[in-house]
Amino acid sequence: MTAAPVTAVAPDRPVAPTETLRSGPSYWLAGFRTMVRWHLASMRMWLMLLALVQVLLGVGYVLGVALFFDEVPPIMAAYVSTGAPVFNLVLLGLLLGPQLVADMKTSGGYDYLQSLPVPTTAAAAAWYVVTLVGGVPPMLVTLLAARLRYPDLELAISPAVVPAVLLVVFAGTMLGYALAYAITDPRVIQLVTQVLAFGLVGFSPVVFPAQQMPAWLVSVNEWLPLTHMATIVRDALTDGLVTADVGRAYLVVSVWALAAGAAAVRELRRRR
Amino acid sequence: MPTSPSPTTPVTDWAFRAQDVTKVYKGGVRANDGISLRIEPGEVYGLLGPNGAGKSTLVKQVIGLLAPTSGSLSIGPHDLVAHPEVARQLCSYLPQAQMPIDSFKVTEAIELTGRIRGGERTAVRRRTAELVDALDIGEWRSATGASLSGGVKRLVGFAMATVVPGRLVILDEPTNDVDPLRRRLLWRQVRALSDLGCAVLLVTHNVLEAEKAVDRLAVVMEGRVVAEGTPSSLKAEDRGRLRLQVMLAPGSPTPEAPAWYRAPVRVGNNLVGTVAEEEAGIGIEWAQGLVDDGAAEEYALAASTLEDAYVRLTGHTSADDDAPEPVGAAAGAGASTGAGPERPASEARP
Repeated sequence: MTAAPVTAVAPDRPVAPTETLRSGPSYWLAGFRTMVRWHLASMRMWLMLLALVQVLLGVGYVLGVALFFDEVPPIMAAYVSTGAPVFNLVLLGLLLGPQLVADMKTSGGYDYLQSLPVPTTAAAAAWYVVTLVGGVPPMLVTLLAARLRYPDLELAISPAVVPAVLLVVFAGTMLGYALAYAITDPRVIQLVTQVLAFGLVGFSPVVFPAQQMPAWLVSVNEWLPLTHMATIVRDALTDGLVTADVGRAYLVVSVWALAAGAAAVRELRRRR
Repeated sequence: MPTSPSPTTPVTDWAFRAQDVTKVYKGGVRANDGISLRIEPGEVYGLLGPNGAGKSTLVKQVIGLLAPTSGSLSIGPHDLVAHPEVARQLCSYLPQAQMPIDSFKVTEAIELTGRIRGGERTAVRRRTAELVDALDIGEWRSATGASLSGGVKRLVGFAMATVVPGRLVILDEPTNDVDPLRRRLLWRQVRALSDLGCAVLLVTHNVLEAEKAVDRLAVVMEGRVVAEGTPSSLKAEDRGRLRLQVMLAPGSPTPEAPAWYRAPVRVGNNLVGTVAEEEAGIGIEWAQGLVDDGAAEEYALAASTLEDAYVRLTGHTSADDDAPEPVGAAAGAGASTGAGPERPASEARP
């Protein structure tokens, strides 16, 4: 084999393959930072679409509920206004994220991303930050819409809103992440997230009081994270509206978040 | 090539080694069956074989997406099976599928990958500019991935995989969809990688391209390495022989192969085998007879290439994934000791 003349790369350039391995906090941080940039760039094309869906979901819910009533009962207005933001917070991480992964599995980009030298936890953290960026602004828009639509609505936003939002997004994102990586077949991922979306928007007591559900559904939801996510967020946004045990809500969501996070990282590392 | 050290060869043995790699999927499918190979730094190594031969399975084990059932994979002092995270630092990978860069600008995708791979900012920027020029994709520098043609996207993927190359660079069908001119530019960059001291693993079923690009190659069939060597050593058995390719009339039965027609394989309507140079006349007569009888449409006699060795070893032509049928009995016609292959009598490859 005769080597073609090499013009593009001078041999003294520092691109020669490395012999030293990267490790430690600087490696982690570099992976985290670059993966945040990667995800934001990846989402650029459908950012407008995401914004639209988020507004339809949040603002749409807040305004749409009014169509069911001549005059919206204040308790209803309060529940919807403080529940719809939870949808905004988990939409990207829990529902759209797994679909993106499914899409990448179908198109073949999945293997490539998996082959990049990024610590697993850094990759997960990067995606978490991106889902925060994709969830918090829509939540604020939804709250604004609620404030405008229901002038009598009394919001009392406490500093607890910060940990509440961080925890709810984390739990939702890690659940979605674990799901996306644990299920091999992209079609199954699509199906599961669609069922999840249906159950989430339709049948979990996020935008209405839990007491309105049949008793057995209430007790099921006692152990699922979603009702508790709503409790946490609602408690941070209002004063006196939440009668549920907020401490228990934090506990349940935290346990889900940690378990899902651990499962997500384990699935990411898993070789079949 | 394997033994000649490149200028950047360090004291450590940085060769990529696969030892007895076996992968048995659940359900008992044996995708890799005791594969052993070694790629030196600076060597371009081809992994050839038909679809389903186990090439991708091996690659996925190297980069830690799959775990071998048994066997070892290593680069330098590093065990890639025990430490997939190390494998990802030491290997860079161009998958056969297109890169997920629809919303990226071309240079952005390359530079960001370089940064993810640990490159320093200005070095990555400079190297990106060099690759964009060297691959002649400058006119799409600021275009987004979604607007690129398959070939250009492929070249961008190549640049992403090699902007900060690993010690092992894995290229899975790198030239798919790429136009002939830029293919040459790409191969030049592959050679440049080897000059940098990278071991390059080229996965392909394009035998003709591989013949020109690789230093050594392995032919994989049903999960095993069935032949390994330099392109010329694999061709040695066909020295003094010519390829006789007969395009049979669609639907016509496979003619009985004469004894001098070695290892003919039918793929679709193509019958491919070799004849000794001194029997070329007989071969032409026979093939012409088939055309006259309407059993064949045309035939071609050409210099034998690596493709003929590949056909003999795998029963596949590189361009065809149809199930092949071996034809008749292979006769061991004595190879003449003639020098290089003669000029093709006609060249009718599709």
